[in-house]
Amino acid sequence: MNLVRAYMAGLRHGWFVLGYTLCVCLTLLITAPFLMIALRSVGKGWFGRLWLPPQLTWDWYRWAIEVGNIPEVMKNTLIIGAIAVIVSTVIGIFAGWAFGRRQMPGKELVMAVILLPRMIPPITYALGVAKIFYALELVDTHFGVALAHVSVCAPYAILVLSATFEGLDDRVLEAASVCGANTIKRFFYVVLPLIMPGILASMIFSFTHSYNEFTLTLLTYGPNTVTLPVRTYLAVGDGYWEITSAMAVIMVVPSLVILAMIQRRAKPEKLVGGFKGV
Amino acid sequence: MADAMIEFRDVTKRYGALVANDHLSLTIRRGELMTLLGPSGCGKTTALRCLTGMNRPDEGRIFLDGADVTDLPTHQRELGMVFQNFALFPHMTVADNVGFPLMIRSRPKDERATMVLEALRLVRLEGYAGHFPRQLSGGQQQRVGLARALVYRPKVLLLDEPLSNLDAKLREEMRFEIKEVVTRLGITAMYVTHDQAEALALSDRVAIMNRGRLQQLGTPEEIYESPNSRFVAEFIGLSNFLDGRVDAVRGDAMTVAASGLAIQTRALPGVTPGQKVLLFLRPNEIELLPAGTEPDANTFPAKVEKTTYLGDTMDYRLSIGNAADLRVQTDARHRYGAGEAVRVRLPRVRSWVVEGT
Amino acid sequence: MRELWRKRSVHGITFFLLLPALLCFFGLFFYPMLLTVILSFRPEGHEVGWTLENYTRFLSDPDGRWVILLTFILSLASTALSIVLSVPLALTLREKVRGHQLYRLMILVPLVIPGLIGALGLLLFWGSRGWFNLFLLQFVPGMASPLRINYTIQGLIYFYVWLYFPYTCITTMSALESLDPAIEEAGAVAGANRWQVLRYVVLPLITPGILAGSVLTFMAAFGAFSVPLIAGGDYRPLAVEIYKQISIPIPARWSAASAIAMVMGVLQVVFLTVYMRLVRRAGGNARGAR
Repeated sequence: MNLVRAYMAGLRHGWFVLGYTLCVCLTLLITAPFLMIALRSVGKGWFGRLWLPPQLTWDWYRWAIEVGNIPEVMKNTLIIGAIAVIVSTVIGIFAGWAFGRRQMPGKELVMAVILLPRMIPPITYALGVAKIFYALELVDTHFGVALAHVSVCAPYAILVLSATFEGLDDRVLEAASVCGANTIKRFFYVVLPLIMPGILASMIFSFTHSYNEFTLTLLTYGPNTVTLPVRTYLAVGDGYWEITSAMAVIMVVPSLVILAMIQRRAKPEKLVGGFKGV
Repeated sequence: MADAMIEFRDVTKRYGALVANDHLSLTIRRGELMTLLGPSGCGKTTALRCLTGMNRPDEGRIFLDGADVTDLPTHQRELGMVFQNFALFPHMTVADNVGFPLMIRSRPKDERATMVLEALRLVRLEGYAGHFPRQLSGGQQQRVGLARALVYRPKVLLLDEPLSNLDAKLREEMRFEIKEVVTRLGITAMYVTHDQAEALALSDRVAIMNRGRLQQLGTPEEIYESPNSRFVAEFIGLSNFLDGRVDAVRGDAMTVAASGLAIQTRALPGVTPGQKVLLFLRPNEIELLPAGTEPDANTFPAKVEKTTYLGDTMDYRLSIGNAADLRVQTDARHRYGAGEAVRVRLPRVRSWVVEGT
Repeated sequence: MRELWRKRSVHGITFFLLLPALLCFFGLFFYPMLLTVILSFRPEGHEVGWTLENYTRFLSDPDGRWVILLTFILSLASTALSIVLSVPLALTLREKVRGHQLYRLMILVPLVIPGLIGALGLLLFWGSRGWFNLFLLQFVPGMASPLRINYTIQGLIYFYVWLYFPYTCITTMSALESLDPAIEEAGAVAGANRWQVLRYVVLPLITPGILAGSVLTFMAAFGAFSVPLIAGGDYRPLAVEIYKQISIPIPARWSAASAIAMVMGVLQVVFLTVYMRLVRRAGGNARGAR
């Protein structure tokens, strides 16, 4: 009997070890692609069957910056991102205020409608957007591409800011009035500080989405508005894995940094809106 | 001890610095219903979980029907258990819930059906075999839990505060049903609760626990009539306490000076004059007499400070002796008013020696 | 009368606040979608006229039907594999093994990086000179040449799983967390060992959660664009096919692309409806698991 018991305990232990191995393998499999990109971007002479590049170099980064035009591309990305963020945040503030603090018949329906673009693969409506932009001559303009990004960023901004405004407690505002603050003072001393975290969060979200946005950009860009994702894609087409890796690293590092910063504050699972169509 | 069905031998369980069970030794006899009673945190649930196997004791052994089961996993212990929040399987019908232990033991289908029907009949739910738990009321769900626990006739039934999630009226009904079922089947049962009324009504014996230790073990009468400590006295029923000092000892009687009164009571073994003792009286055993009554043994003058009307009883707060309070409960037939002078007779005074004197 | 005016002005202000959002929605989504629908019925290159030839051409062409089949194969396979991967993972992480916080974070990584970068890294990793093949060649006896994974259907499925399994995993984990532990205890006390508790109690109760999560994975896989664009090689699922119609031929074939986009949208909606009905049926009996 003891032998059977020991066997069963061993078996359970065995499955436990298997599960643990699964987790470890998972971690390896998830980090490995990034490591390879990073190494490829600094490796020299990495041909043949080697685990690590034999030499390290900054050549590829230098090439990306000087010949690959990365500073220009980065500039485009940031300008477009800034415009998209501003427009999305403004939309989000107004809509969020409406959703969070005002009565609205059929609130859930309106909210669902506004979030619809994120449920559908962007390529479907990107076609129409591209057609419209061609007609309005918005293709290859920073403003145009940013506007396309807004269709991606605005729903998230609205989501975040609705929650922010909903969380603005009326009683705090009342207390401020009772303490003697007029509307303007109340706005600057009470309302603004309370909604600032939400506005910042929405701006970070929107910027991240614009920064990473590829599908819509691909259909509305031109030679003057090459963004990082598009540039990286073009580099893949060229076939130089090293250059592509360097650009990929330049593209990804800021996102990971932001993720690391946010992770300390908020629960990462909240970031996942649940929709993705890139 | 061939009579013992459940035995805790010196069981200790620690959670970090907290000792949940402190060298607990307890025996539950075959066919008896024992209640573990105590305030939250006293260790009764920990002891139960050691018995089910959900907790592993750090020290000590646990025996079921003579066999050492301390190292045996939960699913091999052949127990039946009723849970506080019912813990029915929501995705199974009542019949499948009740038949689950049989299905796990690979009993043939027709045998299962018969036994399930029997179990449902036992708890008067025969017509509900096809229902789902969410379609049943709280009381019905708990009865299903009971049926599931008993369906394969385990040797031991465990009940973990089974009535806490039911409303008061239902609780009394279910209390009766549980006792009836357990007695009819002659099964050994361990009941865990913090409700003293349940404990007194249901149990053959009660084990009062406090801070991981067994305070007192006895029949409900023993616990109520002769509590062995202030904690038990306070936990069961209402109580009054008076600090006193032994004045004189005469045979098996002693006089205690408490609050300026000379109170007669049964002498504690080995007590000597000058020792500090704690006197304990139950409010419903104190007699209230009008002020002019003849002085008698253990009657003292007192003054009514506050009265509370409770419907069938009157609750009085009296001041007596030198700044001592007494709480008295009597029937509401004869009422005294606040400020009135009365006499109290103290027929039963229990006492304990205070530690350290 | 004043009441009505007040009410209207209250709603008026709300409407004014919503105006930017509604403009954005209509201008950047609704109208473009409408355009796509209209375009799909226009003869190629024309501004007027109605025709069904875009649809018939795509659906009657064996290549067109292969594109649809391919998309379904990729989406269904990756969804199934995601479920197979997520369930043991979620069950293991429930035990709070050492470092489980790290593993939870790892699971989120594929969600936050752009598909482009993920595809690139995966191509490098699974390539003929990547670490996976190096590992196989070095440690698996009898392997002479590297395994070809990139630009194959299996490879693409692995890529999809890597990128989209977190949706399934996270929902599975939260379904597990919302299970009342007393129910599993009841199973154990009733005589069920760990595997029986898992099989008869836990899995039936978390199945709705698993399926709900797998819907997200399926949607992401069905609409995947950047990943197959880079790593699909000759294989072109629906989204990529749409893009190819406007990027390769000159002049761009907008009508053909629109028709394919409509087909894609309809297929997705139909499949989702069927799937959701299945999910709801599976979840029907497990309601009230708290």
